[in-house]
Amino acid sequence: MTAPAPGPPGAPILRRTPADAPFFDAAARGELLIRGCPACAYALPMDAYACPHPEHPPGADGLGWLPASGRGTLVSWSSVHRAPHPAFAGQVPYTIALVELDEGPWLEARLVGADPAGLRAGLRLRAAFVHPADPADGESFPVFAPDHPTPDHPTPLATGDPAP
Amino acid sequence: MQGRPPRTDQGRAAALVGLGETETGKVYGRTARDFAAEAVRRAAADAGLRLADLDGLLVASGLRHDLDLTLANALGLTDLRLLSQVNAFGATAGAMVQYAAEAVLSGAAVAVACVFADAPLRPGKSTGVAYSTDRPLPPGLPGLRAAAGVFGVNTLYALAARRHMEAYGTTSEQLGAIAVQQRAWAVHNPRAQMRDPLTLADHQASRWIAEPLHLLDCCLVSNGGTAVIVTSPERAADLPAAPVYIWGYGQGHPGNRYMRGSDFGLRTGAAAAGPAALAMAGIGLDDIGMLQLYDCYTFTVLVTLEDYGFCKKGEGGDLAASGILGPGGSLPTNTGGGQLSASYLWGMTPLAEAVNQLRGRAEPERLVRDVDFAMVSGNGGILDHHSTLILSGHDRRTAGRP
Repeated sequence: MTAPAPGPPGAPILRRTPADAPFFDAAARGELLIRGCPACAYALPMDAYACPHPEHPPGADGLGWLPASGRGTLVSWSSVHRAPHPAFAGQVPYTIALVELDEGPWLEARLVGADPAGLRAGLRLRAAFVHPADPADGESFPVFAPDHPTPDHPTPLATGDPAP
Repeated sequence: MQGRPPRTDQGRAAALVGLGETETGKVYGRTARDFAAEAVRRAAADAGLRLADLDGLLVASGLRHDLDLTLANALGLTDLRLLSQVNAFGATAGAMVQYAAEAVLSGAAVAVACVFADAPLRPGKSTGVAYSTDRPLPPGLPGLRAAAGVFGVNTLYALAARRHMEAYGTTSEQLGAIAVQQRAWAVHNPRAQMRDPLTLADHQASRWIAEPLHLLDCCLVSNGGTAVIVTSPERAADLPAAPVYIWGYGQGHPGNRYMRGSDFGLRTGAAAAGPAALAMAGIGLDDIGMLQLYDCYTFTVLVTLEDYGFCKKGEGGDLAASGILGPGGSLPTNTGGGQLSASYLWGMTPLAEAVNQLRGRAEPERLVRDVDFAMVSGNGGILDHHSTLILSGHDRRTAGRP
């Protein structure tokens, strides 16, 4: 599930904070963590700060980390042609995906190993990880590729340049 | 809807009595503060008020956050009873007018100026550069989406529009029909930044920004400022200008969570704000003679039409392609060209157009006559925040009475 490839050249550098160190430590191992509620194991979006479940007593709404399968389905996507940040100028066009993880939360990620013209909502996807070669280049982060169900068709690994 | 008498109502509706618009577009050498001050001065003069008559000021800035409460000092406004910055992203204009209306009806203030101004354009820089950013990534998890190249609003609206297309079969050509019809209005608007007639082929040939959004699906970037003055209907009766009455308002903030079951891209806060505003006004969609819809993208217009109920969910593309939004159509929409073709002042563009139209201040080719009610929308975030206004030239205290 890991890809020994550098991050996209010129990518903005992704830095950890103390609060999300577990996420990036897991990403470095090729594992995806998501935010979730320790009390009810309810998986939540990455920007969640609290579990909205009504049955928790007051103060028991804090979140922790849950392991995710790394599998999900395609909700939406876009091939980006105009670089939205100078760092992406050398990468356009590239394809971004809105992924619904099997656990429920949505993630936006780079989509690799797929022809954008053939994409449809519902496509099964699987996470791979971009590992910067040099720690100075920042943290590992997930990308997604079509999930091929058999060992004969392994998931394409992330490459140095995800653009087709 | 035309000629149909408004419902008699016991309530009072606050009044928009002044509108001030600066020169807008590629206007350089002036700050947001410069534009804002001019807009407030013009709005007060338009209302027949001195600046000293204002006792409230609501201020909204663009992404640069370069406009704040010190505008009051710069204008020499003293002893204000209401002074705040308002930010509901693209829903700000409608929200400001709502808060001003509530203030003047409650007696918290008598005359409140609401102003937005922005100056993101710089000489020699492309329009796109104005809103692009070279800031470093936010650290931690918030940086994940940016590291993936999901950066700025174009990419996120592209994801929203694509989801609608997948769910309902909406097409790029249907989005293009909105751009084409709004341009047909802009042709007759001397203040519009883009006035050359546009064809669907032009739209389809315009370069991709982020698929499925072409360049001509995206709004302009503009320098300029707009202000309105809100007062009580009693005070409005003493003023020279024809008032525009605020019959209804509503907001919708659905709080779509980024997870399974989300309505992201499919349904917006307009679905709550529109019916709330109509109910407050005591009217129905059939009473609406004109729409001024927040159009950061063509798609925003399409999904707002659906959420307001002008067609069934998923049929916004067919409605747009039917041609009824443009000149001569039965649902005149964004009659100055909107933010796609006239100028982008963050929801002040549709608000100002509604006020001008209801006062009869538009070129004959684009003046929509005999409109009892206009519906004005604001949209902010990635379809996360919505404001609706129902405006009318009819004084609600006497409307429908002999």
